[in-house]
Amino acid sequence: MTPSRNADRPRIDAHEKVLGRALYAADQPFPGLLHAMTVPATIAKGQILSIDTAAAVAVPGVVRVFTHGDFAQIRTTPAARGAYGQPGKGYQPMIGPQVRHRGEPVALVVAETLEAAVEGAEAVTVRYAEEPFSAEMDDSLATPEPEPVSQQASGDAEAAFANAAHIVDVEYRHPQQHHNPIELISTTAAFEDGTLRIYEGTQSAAAFAGGLAGMMGMEPQALRGVSPYTGGGFGQKNGVQEQSVLVASAALLLRRPVKLVMPRGQLFHTASYRPHSRHRVRLAADGDGRLLAGIYETVQQNSRYDGFASDHGANPPRLYGYGAWLGRERIVRVDTQTPGHQRAPHEHPASYATECAIDELAGALGMDPVALRLANDTQRDPLTGKPFSSRHLAACLTRGAALFGWDRWTSEPGALVAANGDRIGLGVACGSYKAAMTPSVTTLRLSANGQCRIATSGHEMGQGLRSVIAAELIEVLGVDPGKLDIRIGDTGHAPQHLTAGSWGAGSAAPAARAAALKLREELAQLTGAALTDEPVHAQLARTRRPFLEVSVDTLPLGKDRQAIEQLRRGMPVVTGPEYPDFLAFSWIAHFAEVHVEPSTRRVRVRRVVSVADCGRVMNRRTAESQVRGGVVWGIGAALRETAESDPRFGGVLNNDLAEYVVPVNADIGAIDVDFIDEPDNRLNISGVKGLGEVAMVGAAAAIVNAVHHATGKRIRHLPIRIEDLL
Amino acid sequence: MKPLSYVRAGTAREAIDAFVAAGDGARYIAGGTNLYDLMKLGIERPAHLIDIADLEGADRIDTDGDRLFFGGAALMANVAEDPVVSRDYLVLAESLSKAASQQLRNMATVGGNLLQRTRCPYFRNGVNGTYPCNKREPGSGCAALGGLDRSQAVLGASEACNAVSPGDWPVALMAMDATIELQGRDGTRVIPISELYRPPSQTPHLEFTIGREEIVTGIAVPKTAAGRNSVYLKVRDRESYAFALVSAAVALEMDGDRVGQAHVALGGVATVPWRARAAEAFLRGRTLDREGALAAATAAFADARAGRHNAFKIELGARTLADALITAGSKSQ
Repeated sequence: MTPSRNADRPRIDAHEKVLGRALYAADQPFPGLLHAMTVPATIAKGQILSIDTAAAVAVPGVVRVFTHGDFAQIRTTPAARGAYGQPGKGYQPMIGPQVRHRGEPVALVVAETLEAAVEGAEAVTVRYAEEPFSAEMDDSLATPEPEPVSQQASGDAEAAFANAAHIVDVEYRHPQQHHNPIELISTTAAFEDGTLRIYEGTQSAAAFAGGLAGMMGMEPQALRGVSPYTGGGFGQKNGVQEQSVLVASAALLLRRPVKLVMPRGQLFHTASYRPHSRHRVRLAADGDGRLLAGIYETVQQNSRYDGFASDHGANPPRLYGYGAWLGRERIVRVDTQTPGHQRAPHEHPASYATECAIDELAGALGMDPVALRLANDTQRDPLTGKPFSSRHLAACLTRGAALFGWDRWTSEPGALVAANGDRIGLGVACGSYKAAMTPSVTTLRLSANGQCRIATSGHEMGQGLRSVIAAELIEVLGVDPGKLDIRIGDTGHAPQHLTAGSWGAGSAAPAARAAALKLREELAQLTGAALTDEPVHAQLARTRRPFLEVSVDTLPLGKDRQAIEQLRRGMPVVTGPEYPDFLAFSWIAHFAEVHVEPSTRRVRVRRVVSVADCGRVMNRRTAESQVRGGVVWGIGAALRETAESDPRFGGVLNNDLAEYVVPVNADIGAIDVDFIDEPDNRLNISGVKGLGEVAMVGAAAAIVNAVHHATGKRIRHLPIRIEDLL
Repeated sequence: MKPLSYVRAGTAREAIDAFVAAGDGARYIAGGTNLYDLMKLGIERPAHLIDIADLEGADRIDTDGDRLFFGGAALMANVAEDPVVSRDYLVLAESLSKAASQQLRNMATVGGNLLQRTRCPYFRNGVNGTYPCNKREPGSGCAALGGLDRSQAVLGASEACNAVSPGDWPVALMAMDATIELQGRDGTRVIPISELYRPPSQTPHLEFTIGREEIVTGIAVPKTAAGRNSVYLKVRDRESYAFALVSAAVALEMDGDRVGQAHVALGGVATVPWRARAAEAFLRGRTLDREGALAAATAAFADARAGRHNAFKIELGARTLADALITAGSKSQ
């Protein structure tokens, strides 16, 4: 059966969440649970000379104060801190006396109550020998890597640029940002059925078996990772945290369950973040607006000790039909904690820089920026020459332009004036994100009474993954949504793959669909006739079997059986964007309308229209919600968010939700979302490409371009704040 | 967190007695919206909390006489929504409704709000001596001078401190010539709000003139027709739930089409709630047009001094005040 278009449908776990019944990782009750609190380093770099724990131990209720002397046995390997085998993420605080970044844990206080743990942590005093440090990529102690970390080339871009009639040569800067999911990062280590279980609201329950067990000298199967729900992950919860092994080790040493909820102020210094980056973009075009060349060079901040890759160059050359392309990426090492993936990790900063540069090129050419983009649409990847599996970007642009009323656009900035005197600006930008997939091992059991249970790989982080799985089971089997039991995020039920990179739906939907189709097939064999339109469980009931269970291994396109073995071992197996016969991306076009107050220059985003091509839409309601969330992130990036760091001290000064400025409801106007909703059947049997990341890509650029259109000012750093426009 | 004792007082007298008896570690608590925050940051470490949120009659709002009277424990939300305040004294209502969030305004008191402490990031993050701060540790220095000073004051700063006075409500009260009723061991005294705040000078850790055991029992605002021509304009980094980059409290007594007495105060730019007397003097007897408003507003910032990242506040402040003057003036027509 071919996949059908999905209707709007309530989120499968909406009631549970709204009523507060959904138990998140830190909500799990355990008898005898101990509470832990970390002591953060108050220097940016150096050595611990001594730690005085006497006052902390004397606090009533404190059970134990751990320091690096207690944890020297923790093994670090290149795989230790990452999502399984990610190379180079090797630094683990508290296994030696060195301090590598401000705020890293230097002691762990465990107590009978949270209050005692906090008081104990405040009572620990540490003496340090400080060392010179660099907290910023622009300062003199920062260390640029000598060689670029990656390059892309096609044709002779330098020559094409040198000879072109129309060029832009601009540099855009992106600040450091922090994810700030509302659910704080927590670790609970408890003993159940003789094994150690780790509860974290993680995007990667298997990271514990793959990474944490190894750090503790345990066999992978001796650890069970459980991620019941993730209260926003955005990439910050994609692996073992700085605290994870400390809490697990404390539980093992004390033989009691231990929980640590990291305070938000500390998360700004222990969890990952989006690093600073600089982007030089050179574009060349002929008089008709044909893109002759793009040269894109980036520099990204990194920590001293890890290998967080820079990948800004992967998407921009695929967005338009460039005649020639040259991309080059560099990194600079500084003394901070490891940066990491944050929603649309490199695609957002890259689209910000390149889509603003395209807008500047349109200005240089005197062209409508929508027309310029349409004129350079392509159905083939300029780098490999392969076709795209599906690409409806032109349709996103034309439909978006119509919904938005792009015909109001004027070539002269500042020409549109609202009734109250505000200057109106209109901006457009496009985005793309690779369509990736991962393997799954899925077990599906349908009972004759209508109960339906599925166990597969995936993590519910609010994106609606359970609803995606439900959509396939409802469509193929006609099951009652109220009788679904969807078990994901738990290595005790099925092997788990990291959920990130917009591959959640593209992996889980085909897995659920394949299992459901197999179940139909087996039932048809049982009944000896083709199934009817009646709900499948009713047809099962007539066979007098209480249930029917099937297991299916789902291999992503281009992978062989080895992928399943890697999945079982907790190794990452991710495909895309390049497949044997094509490249696969999701696409989006954003249109933004801003109003700028003439006197104080306050910018208000009145309306955004976004049209996405994400293949088949699995659930209209959660999909629209994903896109609105991505646009809100774009508004935050364009106008609000930045980490404030004083280079004399390091660390983040605005380390709470009051001072790290994210948008509030009053900042958000209308966000109108539409979808092309054409299944990509070349990619997988569900026709799904992925949406969570692409939703944000290009959104910030559309707003920055709209600010330029309103004011005539081209601001090349983020966020654009009031002082930039005065 | 440090163990502490907690008592709830029924009258101001009881509270003061309890405070004095508790000794050095005593602090009053009302809404707790600022104190809990400061406790979590390690800035306040009280050993004894005396709760004054429910003192007898302390949440009284009385607008019947020749003045507006607000009990010290009246909630910000209730004062903002009072029918007389929100109709005839918009500057007061808006200064409250544009502060914090509805949840916080439902807890916070108008008396406690007068004593809110600065949002200077170095002050807030200074636990364990991470950042020098003369407010937290007198004599340790000021990291904000020469540091990240985008949010810091351009008016009233000293060589020891440039932290901004964070409130909105005190700015509006400053413009409206409010008086503050304080009760202490020796009875009650009344001071003009302008005398409540100390400039930082060399002792930025001393922020208020209020005695340690004194309680803000009331706030009085003289009734004036200027309240109808008033506005509180707040410009910030987002549309809600943020402290002011610049705010302007304006109320105008008009004499025909000319300004009689202008009441003007500024927030977000100064170390204390800032009365802009120069702007008031400039406006007296003038008709209000855009040019005049901007000239008056510029006069208000004549003594402003910029640091590394906050020079924009001078220009933004003048434009914000000019907008507020025009808005307030337009209400008299």
